Amino acid sequence: MKYRPLRNFRFMREHRWSSDHLSDYIDHELEVVERERFEAHISVCPECHRLLATLRRTLESLRDLGGTTAPSVADGVLRRFREQG
Amino acid sequence: MRPVSAETEMVLVDKARSGDRLAFEELIRRSAEQLYAVVLRFVADDDEAREVTQDAFLRAWRSIGSFEGRSRFFTWLYRIAINEAKRRAEKHAMAGQPESLDAKGIPDAPDWSEAPQARFEQAELRDALEVAVRSLPLTYRAPIILCDIEGLSTSEAAAAMELSEPAFKSRLHRARLSVRASLDHYFLEQER
Repeated sequence: MKYRPLRNFRFMREHRWSSDHLSDYIDHELEVVERERFEAHISVCPECHRLLATLRRTLESLRDLGGTTAPSVADGVLRRFREQG
Repeated sequence: MRPVSAETEMVLVDKARSGDRLAFEELIRRSAEQLYAVVLRFVADDDEAREVTQDAFLRAWRSIGSFEGRSRFFTWLYRIAINEAKRRAEKHAMAGQPESLDAKGIPDAPDWSEAPQARFEQAELRDALEVAVRSLPLTYRAPIILCDIEGLSTSEAAAAMELSEPAFKSRLHRARLSVRASLDHYFLEQER
């Protein structure tokens, strides 16, 4: 296979740029041109493709974590507020 | 999820600013549980989370006159609570105590003794996530908690952390990558 340094350089440049903009892509914060640039790289880079998929899964799971309920917390705050506030 | 609608919150805050204690008590009733849930991810355990939540409300009451309403009240409250949690984390670090990396404060540990495999895996992922988030330094943990768990917008969360939006986004991205990396073994198993 023929070695193509320019092609490799371009790929690595796009790889770095796409890795830096994964969150922006997921959060819909890229301009149309940037979005197309990102998607062009993702379509040829299995590593970034997997990173995007697993990052999305991570964020979905984080959203599902939710918080701990502790109904008596407000009572404690009110008590201290009445004593010291 | 927001504890109070913007309009009601504004009315209550205005009243509280003019010294109406009952209005502030209403803000406490509506926001305390939500704030506690956030704080619990920053500190060691339930007791400390309750103390930080109480301290945050007391500080908020004492300085509510300086609250200019440029952000939501709850965003301002987050900022006070995060700063209080940071102060405590620094105190623990100076005393040689680790910064809440143990599983003690991790909420709702599920009982999977008789659960099917899918539930076990989900519970396993949830626990792994909690540990991954808790393992982050506080400055990286906060963006994840505020944006990805609590659902604040980037600008609200950046305001709560007193950061510019670009600086906040950069931290959030690095924090997300770190949490994802901690779960990679789990994803690899799923892909097999």
